[in-house]
Amino acid sequence: MRVGTVPSAAYDGVPYTRGGAVDRADVGALVRSAVDGDAAAWKALVEGLSPLVWSVVRAHRLSDADAHEVYQTVWFRFAQHLGRLREPEKAGSWLASTARHECLKVLRSLRRLTVTSDPHLLDRVSEDRTPEQSVLDSEEAAAESERIRWMWQEFEELGERCRQLLRVLMASPPPSYQEVSAALGIAVGSIGPLRQRCLRRLRARLDARGAL
Amino acid sequence: MKDDVNDTAPGGEPFDDPGPDGFDDTADDLGTGLLEESLRQAAAILDPVPAELRRLAVEAFALHDLDARIAELTFDSVVDAIPVRGAADPPRMLTFRADEVTVDVEVSAQGLMGQVLPPQRARVEVLSGPQRAVPVDADDMGRFTSDTPPAGPFALRLRTGGRVVVTEWLRA
Repeated sequence: MRVGTVPSAAYDGVPYTRGGAVDRADVGALVRSAVDGDAAAWKALVEGLSPLVWSVVRAHRLSDADAHEVYQTVWFRFAQHLGRLREPEKAGSWLASTARHECLKVLRSLRRLTVTSDPHLLDRVSEDRTPEQSVLDSEEAAAESERIRWMWQEFEELGERCRQLLRVLMASPPPSYQEVSAALGIAVGSIGPLRQRCLRRLRARLDARGAL
Repeated sequence: MKDDVNDTAPGGEPFDDPGPDGFDDTADDLGTGLLEESLRQAAAILDPVPAELRRLAVEAFALHDLDARIAELTFDSVVDAIPVRGAADPPRMLTFRADEVTVDVEVSAQGLMGQVLPPQRARVEVLSGPQRAVPVDADDMGRFTSDTPPAGPFALRLRTGGRVVVTEWLRA
């Protein structure tokens, strides 16, 4: 079953589909299959869109506990609304926007309660071990590992706006600008220029440090 | 590694049509594109989706229920109410609505109290994920209580008069 709903949207020369594990054009078809009870399609959606949801949550600098709960809430709600999505091909934007709203809600209630939880993730590194991590452990890769940590440090020290945007853009596969827009509440048209600016700023920091 | 980006196009790809001012933009874009890709790799290593969360999302498929009606959140004291001065830890008030059925819920450290309106009997499950939950009964007035306060994401599933209503998932 092939559903021909290839999004024609392309913004600032960045095509809707920027490649990756899940072809974004297939998202609509996967949603429809999942609605029909196809668990494999659901799994493919999770694989393809989890990093986007996680990136949005991380971009908002929640505590780990809050980040985990928001992530789960978003997926539970997505499962709940699965058969009711008006535009299944925009499931990524739906997830990104739901994640954003849940994050803002958390931040608002924290501000209200003035809880002294530490939202800074500066030195926080996931304890999950990925295949890439194991590679990094080998001695030959030590230099590469250090380079990556430097880059991460400089990224963390960027201004809030840039840090947020880049954290969302880092999702894999790369998010479409529509998804970025839904994730951060910024206009699609401003993402391209902002992205350039933020990456240039990061590049300058890295150059100053002599990295890369 | 030398900074000679301008001598050769990154990746060795020829530029077809740089256009006026296009060359610099394109070179810049490729440079930043590479940097973005490096960041993406760094994120995959230093801040990946925790495996446990990925698993929970896969299991969440069990929550899709095309027959259940969704009761949407129409009021949440965390968002909609002005905080009461002096009330250190006021209960959270929530209202969900699905067409003619309304569910009022009060969540506190002691647990959860609620009422189905219009008043009617119902079986109510306080869900915390895809797994089943022990149901409690709502009385003739539609009132129900649960001793365990929800922690993390939760939703209520109500069975009343042959209908199934599920409230929108929320964080406790």
